[in-house]
Amino acid sequence: MLAVEGLTKLYANATDAIAGGIRDAEFRLEPGTFFTLLGPSGCGKTTTLRCIAGLEKPDSGIVRLGDRILFDGAAGMSVPMNRRDIGMVFQSYAIWPHMTVFENVAFPLQVSKDVRYGAADIAARVQKALETVNLGGYGNRPATRLSGGEQQRVALARAIVREPQLLLLDEPLSNLDAHLREEMRVELKRLQRQTGITTVYVTHDQAEALSMSDRIAVIEKGRIVQMDTPEGIYYRPKTRFVAGFVGVTNMARGTAEAAASAGAAVAVRIETGEQIFCQAVGSIGASASVAVSIRPESVRLEKDDGAAPDTPAGETVLRGRVDQASFQGQSRRYDVQIAGWRLMVLADPQVRLSPGDEVRVRLSLRDTIALADGNE
Amino acid sequence: MSSARGHVDAHSTRWIAAILGIIIALLVLPPVWYLFQGSLFEITPTGAVGEFTFEHYRRLLEGERLATSAVNSFVFAIGSAVVALLFGGVLAWIVERTNAPFKVLAYLTTIISLGTPYVLYVTAWLFLLGKVGPVNDLYRWLTGANDVLINVHSMTGMVLVEGMLWSPLVFLLLSATLRTSNPEFEEAARMSGASVWDTIRRITIRLALPAVMALVLLVFIRAFEGFEVPALVGLPGRVNVLTTDIFLALKDTVPPDAGRASAFSVVLLCVVAVLLAFYNRISKSAERFHTVTGKGFRARPFDLGAGRWIAGVIIIANFLFVLVLPNLVLLWASVLPFFQAVRWKAVGLFTLENYKAVINSPFYLELVWNTLILAAASATIVMVLTLVVGWLAVRRKPGGWLLDQMATMPLIFPGIVLGTAVMQIYLAVPIPIYGTIWIILIAYVIRYLPYGMRYGYSGMLQIHRELEEAAGMSGAGNLVILRRIVLPLLAPAVASGWLFIFLLASRVLSLPILLAGPDSQTIAVAMYDMWTNGQGTELAAMGLLWTLIMTVIASGFYFLSRRSGAGVYGN
Repeated sequence: MLAVEGLTKLYANATDAIAGGIRDAEFRLEPGTFFTLLGPSGCGKTTTLRCIAGLEKPDSGIVRLGDRILFDGAAGMSVPMNRRDIGMVFQSYAIWPHMTVFENVAFPLQVSKDVRYGAADIAARVQKALETVNLGGYGNRPATRLSGGEQQRVALARAIVREPQLLLLDEPLSNLDAHLREEMRVELKRLQRQTGITTVYVTHDQAEALSMSDRIAVIEKGRIVQMDTPEGIYYRPKTRFVAGFVGVTNMARGTAEAAASAGAAVAVRIETGEQIFCQAVGSIGASASVAVSIRPESVRLEKDDGAAPDTPAGETVLRGRVDQASFQGQSRRYDVQIAGWRLMVLADPQVRLSPGDEVRVRLSLRDTIALADGNE
Repeated sequence: MSSARGHVDAHSTRWIAAILGIIIALLVLPPVWYLFQGSLFEITPTGAVGEFTFEHYRRLLEGERLATSAVNSFVFAIGSAVVALLFGGVLAWIVERTNAPFKVLAYLTTIISLGTPYVLYVTAWLFLLGKVGPVNDLYRWLTGANDVLINVHSMTGMVLVEGMLWSPLVFLLLSATLRTSNPEFEEAARMSGASVWDTIRRITIRLALPAVMALVLLVFIRAFEGFEVPALVGLPGRVNVLTTDIFLALKDTVPPDAGRASAFSVVLLCVVAVLLAFYNRISKSAERFHTVTGKGFRARPFDLGAGRWIAGVIIIANFLFVLVLPNLVLLWASVLPFFQAVRWKAVGLFTLENYKAVINSPFYLELVWNTLILAAASATIVMVLTLVVGWLAVRRKPGGWLLDQMATMPLIFPGIVLGTAVMQIYLAVPIPIYGTIWIILIAYVIRYLPYGMRYGYSGMLQIHRELEEAAGMSGAGNLVILRRIVLPLLAPAVASGWLFIFLLASRVLSLPILLAGPDSQTIAVAMYDMWTNGQGTELAAMGLLWTLIMTVIASGFYFLSRRSGAGVYGN
């Protein structure tokens, strides 16, 4: 179990203004969790990871792994990185070029102070780790003769060879090409399931975060703004930032027509005049200004035949005209003009519309979210 | 318990930094202090410090001596820089960027001249350009005149010899710049419709300009603080510069006028410090154009057409002038009992006596021994110190910045100035090492610390930080990381740094000439003495044998540095 409490590490720039870092990070992971720190570059996610690793010294806070305290700012204690027993994969992989694959992976066992490993034991463990990452016969390869994907696997084998309690991954897929990245995503997830190691993963790629994680923490400007399951983050973003950063969304400003408590339905008049029924995230006051977020794939389009539409309770139906249409493989993208408002829609490829078609736009209550402005 | 170990590790870096700090401060700071003290106080011959005085500076400004020497120094330095750039620069471009033939000759010339002691090289040119030397001889034979074409003991002679001395270095550094610069800039110009000449004029030269300016300034500084050429070429013709003035104040005055030498030294030190600050600014802006692409392709050479044969002739001329002629004239001299004009009748006098004398003399053996030990020991000490300082500085460990600054500081000392300072320190301090090789060793270590830093620091920069962090996360402590990760990765840089310092230390004259005692002579000092004693032919024999040894070591350096330049770690 990894527990982080009140972790703060701030960097000052030349004029002593704060230039990045992390404030008051707080989370607690059950054993075997795949946890992702997600955010744009410079948001403090890598700082958080390096504080857990012991590569940076936090300003304050507590880091606990199992029953061991790794860092306690108030008590002034800090276990140095080489005594933390944490496996880590670096962004550059950091495969030592003067060693073979075997020597790279064996290194953590050779320098271990707590447990002495015999040569035969080391060979067996290295072999097992290499097989886990599907590099069985690669032991004698010089490290300089590896492709990017192979280097990544060696780095992974080196990180797990000691069977650490915690595995840290710092944007490990960002140096791979698109095809290999997809493949390694699945591979990493399989490996984590197989070994059951608690994992903290740092990325700025929301697709990686959504597809691999058990839990995600979204970080904005040094603060964790939301921590939830991938579904929770995607469907119930708490702030405009989270809604915009995770996945693609349509955003509109408007005013709440009535007060609503968290999770209740609320009618919102958006700036261009339409009334939209939304689900409130957090409680919203009457006439409060709000932001409305609509996921493009949750919108349903149908040809407008001029007849009066059926309107189930809570559903919003708007009239618009298709402005642009493009085929994208798994979906069709339509840009729909609704009065002064432009809505992006990702529809099933079976739905075939052409530019100029009059359409009815259906928004379900469940997927239409109102965020109070205080939640920015 | 585990945290206790961690504290030991954090402490260990701090201890390393503190110990290194004391060693380097003790090496670097006293020379500065003693120079200023020597120039501002009366110092009695026993070394006691007397009253504060501006007398030394006042005497310096008296008469026209300082002004004449300063002007001479500048003219000499500017002239040498221009000559070196002309020879070395044109050659570098031809070799790196065109399809000229005989390129291998240019490299051969450079490697061998790297191993030749300056003193030997200078004497070779003195033989060549001297009154009875082949150049003036040929002139007289062609014109029937009785005078000389060129009087070598003049400013012209000094500039010519110093310029030729530095042209291999200009070639080496400039060809490295040309090799690593991005050829796409030139290709883009060609694709935009520019001719070869337009491309060279408007792209190549403009892009290389900061690097070229930096090089000119570097040669300028080196010539400005140079000693060998002013002493051997200038002094006999009474052309004095600042460095020879310092030397004369100490060696030709009885008792040695340390106050005057110190005052001269402080003046020289200040000029060099200003020039170096300027150099650093220029070379920083030069690096901005120095764009290394990771793609590893080489520029396609310009096709010079028929012009390639002219370029080939330039390469051969360089090969002849820088390598063949000086060595031929040395060979000629070395088999004669005394130097003679190149004539058939002199062949009858050919003898191997000079070589026999050199090989059989225990004195020469001791010289070789002293020189090699000094060079090897100073290179080893410097590289050990700078390896750790480089690591502390690049990884921003406590004290790293300060150590880096201190280790780089001796760059402002011209050799002769440092010699003056070190001499005064160990005359005043009651440690009996004056006149032994130990004092020379200390001076060498101070002098070459900055060179070691260049290799240690830039070598460290090439090692990705995560390579060390990965070892730390794997459970390794600081010392294990240094031993198993940093040291092996840095080995090529350390090795080429070691060889570079070894080569410099084995041929330097300006330091040991003031510090060497009767039992602590080095090859360079002995060569200087032999030349001034008129033993030129024996000097030629010894010099050729020595050059042979050093060429082997220089080739090692050259190939090592090319290889380590190509390898980039941890991407």
